[in-house]
Amino acid sequence: MQDDKDLIELLLNSKTQNEGFKNLVQLYQKPLYYHIRNIVLNHDDTDDVLQNTFIKVFTNISKFKGESKLYSWIYRIATNESLTFLQQKAKKTGISNEEVQQRELMNLESDVYFEGNEIELKLQKAIATLPEKQQLVFKMKYYEEMKYEDMSEILKTSVGALKSSYHIAVKKIEEILKSN
Amino acid sequence: MKNIDLNTTKIKSGFKVPDDYFEKFEARILEKIPTQETKVVSLFHRKQLWISSIAAILLLAIAIPSYFNSIKTTNTLDSSNIENYLSYQSNFTNFDIIENLTEKDIKELESLLAVNSDDVEAYLLNTQNLDYYLNE
Repeated sequence: MQDDKDLIELLLNSKTQNEGFKNLVQLYQKPLYYHIRNIVLNHDDTDDVLQNTFIKVFTNISKFKGESKLYSWIYRIATNESLTFLQQKAKKTGISNEEVQQRELMNLESDVYFEGNEIELKLQKAIATLPEKQQLVFKMKYYEEMKYEDMSEILKTSVGALKSSYHIAVKKIEEILKSN
Repeated sequence: MKNIDLNTTKIKSGFKVPDDYFEKFEARILEKIPTQETKVVSLFHRKQLWISSIAAILLLAIAIPSYFNSIKTTNTLDSSNIENYLSYQSNFTNFDIIENLTEKDIKELESLLAVNSDDVEAYLLNTQNLDYYLNE
């Protein structure tokens, strides 16, 4: 929390703004990249969303009230940007969100920036069968190993609801992996 | 396929990034943030404000003394000012002037005009409606 305060102070002062932003990018670019990539799947789209996320964080930092941790606030922006991006992509191509995801999964097999083999690809496909919210919870818990308390702040959902959501997701995915 | 327990088995997402992606990303995003723009605008406004305040003070410094000087010069009345004033006052007639003439004024006027009988005679001869004056 003290680190958050220092970073926000740097960002709000016009003289230290650049230095603050540099620190922010260094601290968050890697975890945020993988968080976004888990949702949008494709590298180029992730790059776009990651840039938009940082610009949004930078232009709205004065509106950050400190009710939650800076970390949760930034992750919430990244999550919203990713989901909005998928919706816009579906709208542009005139197909549903699920179809967009299916298409991206098909492309993963030939993606040079995907190094997974059979089991990794199977898991990605199994996740895609879940409802959107369950997918998010599963990815954040399983891939990103996030704490339920942090997920609760980011997704504005109670810890109890997140735990049961993750539990259901795990069961469903295990079933799918077993049947294949 | 055999059973997989996700709580004990770790399967990776399989995603990777291009080489040097994060190093290059940092430089790219720092170029995109709009910091310089806002700084320039605020400095420009501050400079403009300074220039206009100096201009306003200079203008007042010149205008105030010259205003007071102009009042001083117009305070004194000379005869031509009075004459102009009277000639433009349409409701001020010759009769009003005659009414206000004192004995002293009349004496002065008489000596100034110095009317002699020859002049009067010549005037009367030249005037068309002489009959009118004789009947009076």
